[in-house]
Amino acid sequence: MFKKLLFATTASPTCDNAAKVAFDLELKWDAKLFVFHVLGMPTRGFSQYITDSRTGETDQIDPDYIEWVKEEMKNTYGELLKDSENSELEAVIGMPHREILRKARKENVDMIIMGAHTREEDVGATRYRSIAGSTMQKVAKAARCPVVIISRPCTTCWKLFSNIVVGVDFSKAADYAFLWAYKLAKEVGAKLHVFHALDVNYGSAGQVKSQVEIENLLAAANEKIKTRHLKKIKNFDNYAVEIWEGIPYVEILKYSRKVNGDLIVMAHHTREIDPEEALLGSTVEQVVLRASCPVASVNHPDKVADVID
Amino acid sequence: MAEGKLCNKKTVDKIEQLNELLSDKSGKQYYEEMNYLDVDDKALWATMQKTLKSRLKTWLEICSHCGLCAESCFYYLANDRDPKQVPSYKIQDTLGQLLKRKGKVDNEFMQYCMDTAFAKCTCCTRCGVYCPFGIDTGIMFSYLRGLLFSQGFTPWEMKIGSGMHRIFRAQMDVTTEDWTETCEWMAEEYEDDWPGLKIPIDVQDADILYTVNAREPKHYPEDLAEAAILFHIAGENWTVPSEGWEETSLAMFAGDWAACKMQVESVYDAMKRLNPKRMVVTECGHAYRATVIEGPYWAGLKTGQTPIPSFHYVEWVAEALRTGKLKIDPAKKIKEPVTYQDSCNYIRNAGLKDVAREIMSYIAEDFREMSPCKEHNFCCGGGGGLNGIGRYRPQRNVGLKVKRDQILQTGAKLVIAPCHNCWDAIRDLEEVYDIGIRWSFLKPLLISMVEVPEHLQPKDE
Repeated sequence: MFKKLLFATTASPTCDNAAKVAFDLELKWDAKLFVFHVLGMPTRGFSQYITDSRTGETDQIDPDYIEWVKEEMKNTYGELLKDSENSELEAVIGMPHREILRKARKENVDMIIMGAHTREEDVGATRYRSIAGSTMQKVAKAARCPVVIISRPCTTCWKLFSNIVVGVDFSKAADYAFLWAYKLAKEVGAKLHVFHALDVNYGSAGQVKSQVEIENLLAAANEKIKTRHLKKIKNFDNYAVEIWEGIPYVEILKYSRKVNGDLIVMAHHTREIDPEEALLGSTVEQVVLRASCPVASVNHPDKVADVID
Repeated sequence: MAEGKLCNKKTVDKIEQLNELLSDKSGKQYYEEMNYLDVDDKALWATMQKTLKSRLKTWLEICSHCGLCAESCFYYLANDRDPKQVPSYKIQDTLGQLLKRKGKVDNEFMQYCMDTAFAKCTCCTRCGVYCPFGIDTGIMFSYLRGLLFSQGFTPWEMKIGSGMHRIFRAQMDVTTEDWTETCEWMAEEYEDDWPGLKIPIDVQDADILYTVNAREPKHYPEDLAEAAILFHIAGENWTVPSEGWEETSLAMFAGDWAACKMQVESVYDAMKRLNPKRMVVTECGHAYRATVIEGPYWAGLKTGQTPIPSFHYVEWVAEALRTGKLKIDPAKKIKEPVTYQDSCNYIRNAGLKDVAREIMSYIAEDFREMSPCKEHNFCCGGGGGLNGIGRYRPQRNVGLKVKRDQILQTGAKLVIAPCHNCWDAIRDLEEVYDIGIRWSFLKPLLISMVEVPEHLQPKDE
């Protein structure tokens, strides 16, 4: 399931937890691991100047500079590299989200692993308004493969996962998220928890739903899960379905905690929303920042082609 | 003749030469070597005799030192009205001296000329508007840059830039394969949100041939996707060429005339090969000037025109809004005060001032002109290649003050800058002076405001 992995790192402590998972995955799945760092951002017009991604300082580049950054990466990941069998370090210049996506596409990787950098750490994010928003959000939306975001220490190794939670919202992207979660659960022998949160955030609608209404919606969602998702499951019965009402990101976090989720899988499909606004409003981002387990964002069919009917 | 390994009179035509230059961080060795570079005064004088023609000679001759150009120069204003920053002084003391001395000058003088031609003039041509004789010092400095280049006296980044054009026919190392691959990639990345979105490559007889700035495929391919989205919404029959897609010309800034010709001919070849009705170039100022205004002369086209009619992006946008191909949702118009940066390269060189105002009338509720504006507007401060030259960063940062004050005066916090260089200079001035502004190209703003026809909207299940 994972032959090629891309660990996109800021080469700073933010990504330490993600690094452990990335190197662990490499060994457990006999995969090739690309350790990839975007060291500096170029200007729009013509210049050899870059803004260093870590310090925010302006500098001029040359091959030595890139080699020096790679040397630093080797030191940062020294312990993990000792055991690594098939990994490759790379440092490049560019806009982080763009270069991560370029690399993922070029190598056709099966998964991207990232740390959950907050916006403050996205050096230059506010400087480059036309591509505002966090690297993570942009990568998660556009990548053709799943993107796993790790913000806290992950104690369970991927091969030993026992509970995978997938949040579905009946969008096309969520169909793929479901299929990928199902594929992974089957592969590692974990229980698959199919979860839907009925959004009862009245604020915007300006009206309160009656209990009957809510119950009707819950029943309809249950039916949808059956026809849309459960039908796709073959030779696998280790799953459960749960539908809760509330604010989606809160409910999915509560549910994951209740079932001891090792991984939360979701789709990430904000559309037509100002990226600055979407950052605060996106369910995935909220889940990522708060979850105690890794969160995988899946939005495209590319890596689940084999389980699509 | 003393020639450096990196700094010499040779042009950069091989990738190995280019890599050597790039390895020399900030051009340290390059500028060291420049101190020992001999001036071939015979060759210099021979070039001048062949190329310094009556127009420039007359200009140098008839300048009456009246000083009316002084106040027109943003460098003069930004440097406390230093008399050494008066355009006529600057050109008489460099090109004028070269002519008087018949090219018999030394290394020190050539470096002085280079420092003046690149760090005291962005070739914005504003002074030409104010000279009673119509003397255009910016044009003369462009010419001087050419003489300097032929003798190896050009800033490190300019040597690299011209080499890029010679090797890649682009200002950056983007190959044909990289380019076409990026087009496919962007169409793929955005097709979910824009069903049916395509970036058609090498389509014959299209209505529009779209060309770009190599920065876009190299670092900001979103820009290409945004162009595609707007053409898609407008229902245009458009294409990009697989070769001849790069409009910019660092060779023009450098004064590498031979490379200028090579670059524009690659674009003209694409025009002839694909036979489109017209060409539209991305939001880049100098690209338009190089390919549309100056290019035909470099390529020796007798008409002085590009092989097919050519338009800047702002012209296409104004037309699309005027004809209703793009409709702005009134509720989404820009409400906050917004100002517009006129790029010298298509304002003074091509008179595209009215289309810019037309665009603003459709998209902004509180449009505020800079003062002065239109053909009287000041350079952003980073034109003529200056943004890119490390050696002259301090001088450029001083020059940015004029644009800073112009923007502050409008009270607007959003600056629309449909030019890569202006965009960058304005971003940098925010970084240097921290005045709390934002800046943008037109494309992302238009996408956020435009009405999307029902049949082009993504179908959610």
